[in-house]
Amino acid sequence: MRIAEKLLLQRQRHLKWRALDPLEMILMVLCGLLLFGFSTTVMFDIITREIGHPWLWLQEVTSTFFVYAIFTGAAVATRRNDHLYLTAVAEALHGTPRLVAEIVIRLVVLGVASCLVYFGYINFLRGFSSFRMPSLTPIASLYAAIPISGALIALFTIEQLVNGIRKGFDHPEPPEALLEITPILTVPSSARRP
Amino acid sequence: MSAPLILGLMTFCFLFFGYLGVPVAFSLMAGVFIGAAFTDVTFPAIVQKIFDGMDSEALLAIPFFLLVGELMSSANVVSRITNLSLALVGHVRGGLSQVVTVFSMFFSEMSGSTTADVAVISRALGGPMKKEGYDPPFIAAIIASASTIAALVPPSITAVVYGAVGNVSIAGLFMAGVVPGFMIGFGLMIYCYFFGPIGTRRPRALFRDVAHAFKDASLPLMIPIILLGGILTGWFTPTEAGVVAAIWILAVVIPSLNRRHLKLLPYDFCLAGLIFSLPLITIGAANAFGWLLAYLRGAIVIAEWITGLAGNDPHLIMLLMVLLFTIIGDFIEPVPTIIIFMPLVNVLTTAGNINPVHMGVVLIATLAFGLITPPYGLVLLMASKFVGVRFSQALRAALPIYVVFFGTIAFAIYLPQVVLWLPKHVLPESVGCFKNPSGPGYLCP
Repeated sequence: MRIAEKLLLQRQRHLKWRALDPLEMILMVLCGLLLFGFSTTVMFDIITREIGHPWLWLQEVTSTFFVYAIFTGAAVATRRNDHLYLTAVAEALHGTPRLVAEIVIRLVVLGVASCLVYFGYINFLRGFSSFRMPSLTPIASLYAAIPISGALIALFTIEQLVNGIRKGFDHPEPPEALLEITPILTVPSSARRP
Repeated sequence: MSAPLILGLMTFCFLFFGYLGVPVAFSLMAGVFIGAAFTDVTFPAIVQKIFDGMDSEALLAIPFFLLVGELMSSANVVSRITNLSLALVGHVRGGLSQVVTVFSMFFSEMSGSTTADVAVISRALGGPMKKEGYDPPFIAAIIASASTIAALVPPSITAVVYGAVGNVSIAGLFMAGVVPGFMIGFGLMIYCYFFGPIGTRRPRALFRDVAHAFKDASLPLMIPIILLGGILTGWFTPTEAGVVAAIWILAVVIPSLNRRHLKLLPYDFCLAGLIFSLPLITIGAANAFGWLLAYLRGAIVIAEWITGLAGNDPHLIMLLMVLLFTIIGDFIEPVPTIIIFMPLVNVLTTAGNINPVHMGVVLIATLAFGLITPPYGLVLLMASKFVGVRFSQALRAALPIYVVFFGTIAFAIYLPQVVLWLPKHVLPESVGCFKNPSGPGYLCP
């Protein structure tokens, strides 16, 4: 299977629009690039410090990649249903109670996402009056990640809400693929039971 | 609306939404927004607190430790560590249950994540244990219990979060977690030896077989040495040590042990990039929740209740904290718990004049125990799912094992000198010692 295909999660296919598949793939690739980006900048930070010529701006770039990676990951995890859960009582329900519970869940997420968009945007605008050192870039460049992530979370939640109401949330899922770990343990012929 | 009512409302919303199936991060944010609506705190200020919670340099270590764990799982390393554990303890009474514990003691020093450990051990050893006739509920119980070691020993992600949020030395927490972590490990081995199933005992491995297994596993075993060595010598911060460990795997371990996997590295990065964002966004949300809890004086009220009962007795304060956090840990995961209740922990650490590293280790051990207790023992839930038994059956099998955790937590509370021995000798400044102004060595409070 190609990496691009592996990046697109097929779980809960009935809740997804195919039109948004490329967006999921782009965001997954972005997660990888951002992680690679701040891994590289931290590495260069160590090297330049050890050779006595630290590049101070590297820490700024690192924190930018780091913050954007978190918000990008949080957005794409909403579509993939990969977030951390306490438990999902809703999944044990069937019929109308399941429908109601799933709608409530999506409305809560949608409400939170709307707050992130609106109040995050207010913070973004305020961020133009504070600056990051040493580059003097407005801190708004970091705060922009919040409303962008909120908008993506809202989009993916609406996608699930619309498809769930139309097709139902309660669909059987194929078993998840197991990690490929070589089973190495076999009982040797000389094994004995005391 | 009064502060206790607001606190009750936001806690209820968080738990209700969380247990209904809203992701933890969003249920925390929903609780905070609802609570803040009844105060004079503005919503942009709450969004700012969410952002501040994750914008910390110390938290930057988390993605690297998770990346190391992800790369280890896919680099054909697991079978080598299993073979080594088998060569070391496969002949001991208990057989594979001893192997599970030793495997976890090795693997948790590379992954730092209890959930990564439970997934790897269940998949690598669950099947063979079933094949050898071990009782499935016992398999789930021992795998889950052994996986909790990762919460204590370096590079524990829980310790990174505790250190970052509580402004406590992460290296000190790493060092202080070693003794209780290995106490749990050896405690589980003793339990399996005397009370566990006999299992299939193998002949004792010959010295050359053990040496061969060590040689096979030597490249991945360098990872804990890089992590700890770098941090202890002061060469690297925990974040930088994580980067160096990841480079070691990418440049040496994978090309040497599983060259075919190189073409899948972009996928590993994408997946790790997604996985690390999940605890981090939860940390941001929990930070806002904890801040509002403190703003509404919730932490002070609980702290006054505890100090009212315990006075300034550090042992009694810690015992009550353990009791409180055992209950909280039954419902919420360790990372959000630490962030939400850090203001409370800080007040009580000061009230009892407790060393912050000591308090951290006791709390992390308690929260690790919460991972295998009902109703929300995440690690036990995962293990029972992987092994294919009901949670209630796995729980019954785990109940006698709790004694190992009670013993370890009591030890950690009452013998701080043993818990802090390692950090005091290796990193004295991490536990509040300072250089002797009138001679060599350090002076410790």
